[in-house]
Amino acid sequence: MKAESRSVLVIGAGISGISSALELASAGFGVHLLERDAVIGGHAASFPCKATNICAECSACVVSDKLREAVQHPRIRLLTGSTLKEFRGEPGDFRVRIAQEPRYVDGERCIACGLCTDICPTDPKAICLPQADAVPLIHVLDEKLCLRSKGKECELCRDICPTKAIEFNRKRREEELSVGAVVVATGFEVFDAKKKGSLGYGRYPGVLTGLDLEHLLRREGVLRFPGGDKEPARIAFIQCVGSRDEGHPYCSHVCCKYAMKLAALIRHRSPDTLVTIFYIDLQTAGKGFARFFDEYKSDIRFVRGVPVEIMQAASGELEVKFEDISQGRVRRDTFDLVVLSVGISPRTDSWDLARILGLDMADDGFFDTAPSIGSNDTSVSGIFLAGTCQGPKDIPDSVAHGAAAASRVMELLGVPVQAGG
Amino acid sequence: MEARIGVLICDCGQGMQNIDFGALARQAADLPGVTSVNLSSDLCLDEGTKKMVSLIKDENLDRVVIAACSPDMKEHIFRDMLEKAGLNGNLLSMANIREQCSWAHDGEVTDKAADLLRMAIGRVRLLRPVEHREFPVSTEVLVVGGGFSAISTALRLSGVGLRTTVLESEPVLGEGAGEKEDLHGLDRGSMIAAAERDGNIDILTCARIASVEGAPGDFTVTMRTDGTETARKFGAIVLATGFRTELTPGPDALIDARELCSAGVVSQEQLLGMLSNLGLEARPAIVGFLLDLADENSRFTTLATLNNALAVKSRWGSEVYVFCKDVKVDSEGTERLYRETRECGVVFLKCDSAPEVTVDNGKVRVEARDVFLGDDAAITCDLLVAEELPFPVQETEVLGSMFGVRLDSGGFYQDENVHLYPVDSERKGVFFVGGCRGNWDIVRVLTDVSSVVTSVCGLLCPGSIQVDVEKVRVDPQKCVACLTCIRVCPHSAIQLVRVDSGRDAAVISDLACDACGVCAAICPAKAIEFEGYRDDEILAQIEAVG
Amino acid sequence: MMMDGIIVAFCCERSGYPAADLAGRLRLHYPENLRVIRVPCAGRVDVIHIMKAFEMGASAVVVLGCEEGACHHMTGNTRARERVRYCDTMLREVGIEKRTAVMVNISPNAPHKFVTAAVETSKILEDLREAR
Repeated sequence: MKAESRSVLVIGAGISGISSALELASAGFGVHLLERDAVIGGHAASFPCKATNICAECSACVVSDKLREAVQHPRIRLLTGSTLKEFRGEPGDFRVRIAQEPRYVDGERCIACGLCTDICPTDPKAICLPQADAVPLIHVLDEKLCLRSKGKECELCRDICPTKAIEFNRKRREEELSVGAVVVATGFEVFDAKKKGSLGYGRYPGVLTGLDLEHLLRREGVLRFPGGDKEPARIAFIQCVGSRDEGHPYCSHVCCKYAMKLAALIRHRSPDTLVTIFYIDLQTAGKGFARFFDEYKSDIRFVRGVPVEIMQAASGELEVKFEDISQGRVRRDTFDLVVLSVGISPRTDSWDLARILGLDMADDGFFDTAPSIGSNDTSVSGIFLAGTCQGPKDIPDSVAHGAAAASRVMELLGVPVQAGG
Repeated sequence: MEARIGVLICDCGQGMQNIDFGALARQAADLPGVTSVNLSSDLCLDEGTKKMVSLIKDENLDRVVIAACSPDMKEHIFRDMLEKAGLNGNLLSMANIREQCSWAHDGEVTDKAADLLRMAIGRVRLLRPVEHREFPVSTEVLVVGGGFSAISTALRLSGVGLRTTVLESEPVLGEGAGEKEDLHGLDRGSMIAAAERDGNIDILTCARIASVEGAPGDFTVTMRTDGTETARKFGAIVLATGFRTELTPGPDALIDARELCSAGVVSQEQLLGMLSNLGLEARPAIVGFLLDLADENSRFTTLATLNNALAVKSRWGSEVYVFCKDVKVDSEGTERLYRETRECGVVFLKCDSAPEVTVDNGKVRVEARDVFLGDDAAITCDLLVAEELPFPVQETEVLGSMFGVRLDSGGFYQDENVHLYPVDSERKGVFFVGGCRGNWDIVRVLTDVSSVVTSVCGLLCPGSIQVDVEKVRVDPQKCVACLTCIRVCPHSAIQLVRVDSGRDAAVISDLACDACGVCAAICPAKAIEFEGYRDDEILAQIEAVG
Repeated sequence: MMMDGIIVAFCCERSGYPAADLAGRLRLHYPENLRVIRVPCAGRVDVIHIMKAFEMGASAVVVLGCEEGACHHMTGNTRARERVRYCDTMLREVGIEKRTAVMVNISPNAPHKFVTAAVETSKILEDLREAR
């Protein structure tokens, strides 16, 4: 059997790509894990734990565990700052060309001591950790901020680096890989809430997206809200922002649950805060959710009907205009903070990748699945989909879908069954 | 024999300015058993580890303490380093003087660093080697169940070369509830035929499991067929026992649906039968559906309702009304289906409380408060399709108890613990798939099947599993066979075994053990030793704190 | 014997320990008197370990395990909680008022919760000291 067919290319190191990579590596395949960013984990790595006095099954901790496993696995070769340029060949024998952006900090030598960041003269720092819990924990030099790209002679970071990990003369490099199969796990984009102008995102500081709230929680650990010096007493969540509408004829799967878990967390920490969720159909199905919902549903005010307009009053309060279905008239309720539950959108650059790989795109902009076993196959034999690039999913479903893609690779390339005991 | 401890201190490239490394090294050197203290700046890098390998050999060290960054960062590199130097990788103890000391506090922290170092040294003195071994495994798989998930899993496992046995308690395959729809071109009948023809698949009907013991790669399952019992070995076991549904009586307002059968209350399956058999002359003019009123877990009934409502429209052209609370659209394609259904003229009445269902002149009258109308809506249906609630089959609890695996709050596999998802159980080598674990919509079921195939392949295809030998061990001399550890082990890794004539003792399986130490804590005779986390090793750390 | 004010923290390697590491990486500061002992699961921590810590002079013992429902070993965290409660009760029964045993459930990516646990335990000790 050719050596190439024991190697797999996984494009995208979010939770789904990592799940695929780990399963394939466990089964003995060599995995080239390609990631465009300097760090792995994708969106899921930016979510906080939402436990109240019990686990909320948000799966943020599952992500942490898998990131660490992936970066330490001997059969997974991580290629950050990398994208796919060319693709040709047959299943079992694909030739791909990848391009890797120059990484001025050698990942093998960086010990994340932080001395380079301390000494860097720019503001914001040109060299730093992408985030304190970055995986891999390696510093990154941003050319755009670095003085050297402005023609200045500055070698402070390189000189102070105790392991000589920094080198300025690095170039973009390309590499040819031979692989037996490809798994596309490029993830999603968050719906840009500015597109719904009447909801005031970007104009009113008190209007956040669900993602903003998640990031704030992960960063700060406490629910500290922007603007005001007083704690918000009345918070509204608006569901289906960028889902189930003209441009997005699908449910994003995650928003009702993340809104409810965030609402429960808020109520748990600040029992005086009132939380309202405006929804169309409340998505409460799925393993492990009923128990949580039973406990918290009476703690949250649910209102059927999604508001279409938010205005900021002179006091800074937010007026949400909605149709009160129970009374059959339009109303305005006042809140201190409004959270827009933004949905999962397909990545706009999916089209580029589709062109290189010869993949079909579905009407809704996600990669199209070919009818076959499950929802991982594409119209190109040997290329499989994993995760949200195929359609909206929550974290457990993304992990499962990534594992499922691995099974399709195994069925294509074969896994030699060694004689057992 | 006096230990020869090597203390390797790394200052991480001088990234820890609030520790006086000189003082730290001096304090370490004074401790009993410390043969050598070495300070470096790049311990985890190639050149650093090479130097340490030489040092270990030159100084004839027999165990090592490393004071540096968190073990979670580089411990695996350092264990390799020990192995290269000829030492067992377990003879290493680390002191986290970076993330949990230097970086966590303002000001001078040399005293705390010294404490942490003393704790690690106190522990390293007591460490014992742990060997690794490759344990050959059986590559045979047992799939329990005979429905869609079971057959699909068996066909795919056979496809990758794993011999699979399908164990079904009924006389025929495919009788269970759910997953009956012929979707995605999956014809249940031809799948069963394919499984029956497959030389790599053994099908046993009218068969039940009498008992199971053993560990991943090495399970012994005793099966009962026709009154005879046979014991067979399997490497992995997949529970695919499905689920059942009940037409819901529901809370208060709904009358027991079974009583209403004669008046025209049916299940989705009965509706499908009627659609095939009844032509336009005999068609019900008004068809109602009840959906998502009694149970939140209605993804699969939503799909069935949408598909069947469209079928009613297209075959009979009847008026169709769906009484529901929320439409569960968080499955692939469901939103589009929902739109299509409404465009075809199916009317959805959203209710926030359960409707009243009564029999009125031989027809079924459904009355509910429609949220959008703000008023009561009453429809007299010629046919009402009732809601179906999913329930576990009786076998779920029986097998769950036999296998030592917990159930969720609905009585299905598996425990509601995110770390088990998608298809794992807390007993390594035992997996769950499809309806029996609470996934009833076809896309998620298919993904489950794929996930199980992946997990089983990963476990068995290599032909062997690497284990730590006796990392957690029961001393048979101290064991009083009280069975506490056996009852408490979350991974079913402990068995009672005859150790010498007449005496039984608990024995921990290296294959099944997940090294949590719960048994070691609970053993009343303190007969269990967990290498690396023995009582004396933990107490030594406590005693070393200054 | 331990210095006055030492808090011994048994940290499970799946939750408390990585949370503590993350706190360090974020340069979140907490009282220096914390000494972490790593365990594979909170369920490994036995009464004898907790009481030994007090015997050696610890002012407080904190056991950090996974959130309820998320223990990798199903009920290790629940067992730990029972043992911690037992030890705390025992302290009161033998007349030790100024020390405490606390159970904290935490996630590996919750550094702020770790810091809060450390800071609040120190505060509890101070309060116990002030109380007559």
